[in-house]
Amino acid sequence: MSIEIKVKDKVNKEAENNFSENSFVKPLKDFFEEMTLLTKFAFRFFKEVVKPPYEFNEFVKQSYLIGYKSFPLVAITGLIMGLVLTIQSRPTLAQFGAESWLPAMVAVSIVREIGPVITALIFAGKVGSGIGAELASMKVTEQIDAMEVSGINPFKYLVVTRIISATFMLPILVVAANAISLYGAYIGVNIEGNVSFLLFFSQVFEKLSFTDVFPAIIKTFFFGFAVALISCYKGYNSNKGTEGVGKAANSAVVFSSLLIFILDMVAVQLTSLFSK
Amino acid sequence: MQKTTGNKMKLGIFVTLSISLFILGIYLIGQRQQLFSSTFQISGIFKDISGLQVGNNVRFSGINVGIIDNIKQITDTTVQVDMLIDENARKFMKKNAKAIIGSDGLMGNKLILIIPGAYGKAELADNDFIETTQPVSMDDILIKIKIASDNAANITENISAITQNIREGKGTIGKLFMDSTMGENVDQALINIKQGAGGFKQNMTAASHNFLLKGYFKNKEKNKKSEK
Repeated sequence: MSIEIKVKDKVNKEAENNFSENSFVKPLKDFFEEMTLLTKFAFRFFKEVVKPPYEFNEFVKQSYLIGYKSFPLVAITGLIMGLVLTIQSRPTLAQFGAESWLPAMVAVSIVREIGPVITALIFAGKVGSGIGAELASMKVTEQIDAMEVSGINPFKYLVVTRIISATFMLPILVVAANAISLYGAYIGVNIEGNVSFLLFFSQVFEKLSFTDVFPAIIKTFFFGFAVALISCYKGYNSNKGTEGVGKAANSAVVFSSLLIFILDMVAVQLTSLFSK
Repeated sequence: MQKTTGNKMKLGIFVTLSISLFILGIYLIGQRQQLFSSTFQISGIFKDISGLQVGNNVRFSGINVGIIDNIKQITDTTVQVDMLIDENARKFMKKNAKAIIGSDGLMGNKLILIIPGAYGKAELADNDFIETTQPVSMDDILIKIKIASDNAANITENISAITQNIREGKGTIGKLFMDSTMGENVDQALINIKQGAGGFKQNMTAASHNFLLKGYFKNKEKNKKSEK
């Protein structure tokens, strides 16, 4: 009798497992589990960030690696972005005889949206994958465990410093990228036209307002935080050996990029709500 | 150690430059909005502000001298518009200057144009109310265009009727153009006039040789010569 019950239980369990493995329940369950762990990770960050000791030297080092080292890539992207946007917009404006609006239109597009989002995506690609892979390889090679054993708080040293650096470095990169993009737009305007440097920037600042600049810069703090948080989370919690390193780097970039767009959508909605 | 110091220096320069650029941008935007310059406030009362918004420019003699600071509805038919004007422009803005709502080009933003007042009047003071002129609205223009196009349609209809009459040979002009008998009559009349003029010329030649009129013609010739 007891053997019969055991067999029945086993069959039921197998059926349950098959159902959860093959249906939409498992991915959904995994997603919510992941979200819970990510939220715990974020709470741990906020707890650790206010607690001394503060790793200031590591913060400066990470700022250099995350911010300064990303600048060439961001600068080239920004220059091309401004140039291409200007060249592409000119024919449409020319149809309306509104070519004189080109500097103002390009400036608003760059400062409000394209500058922050494109820079954040480039940042996610370069920095996000770097953080994800670095922390994952440290985890796989048990360096993080070694740090814990030697009395260093690895979370504070590795995660907190990276997240703070990324949060403050991305807005700075965006400001630099916007300036370079506007210079690219100036070159673009002068490919077919003849607009002086002074006139171009006069037209640019004529149409820009604080409601264009501040919300765009504020949202980049969130972009930077999101990229670093997800990348650190993916790297810090990676496993499955060397395979996990690649997976962590890849998923860090994918989820960071997705989160940038989601945050941007929320930021745009909030901006339009408050600017009414 | 040296490398770390170098990296810190690079990072410091990069951060400082970026923050300086940001502050410069903020300053330039603020300057356009008269935030960092000395200003005075004037107001104007309008019946209809045609979509004017806070932050739009105020233009005097084609130069941007200020911005719209505030817009408030006073009664159901009047709107008060407060303007912040650059202090440097005050000396040119007289008490009898007029404000009118215009637009920056065909598709541009709305703005307030201040028309200079007569020379010799006192300058506008802080919180003064400026005289306003109601702008011509797009609806008014469209109504006038509609009237003009209706008139044009009537005129072309009349012209069409006239040309139709001419083609059918109705009326004097129609007969002149289309009736061949009339044309022949006109031709004959012209021939008769020509013949009559020839006969008249002969008569006048004969009269000039007549002894009764000879004296008159000689005096006329003499007068002509003396005038020369």
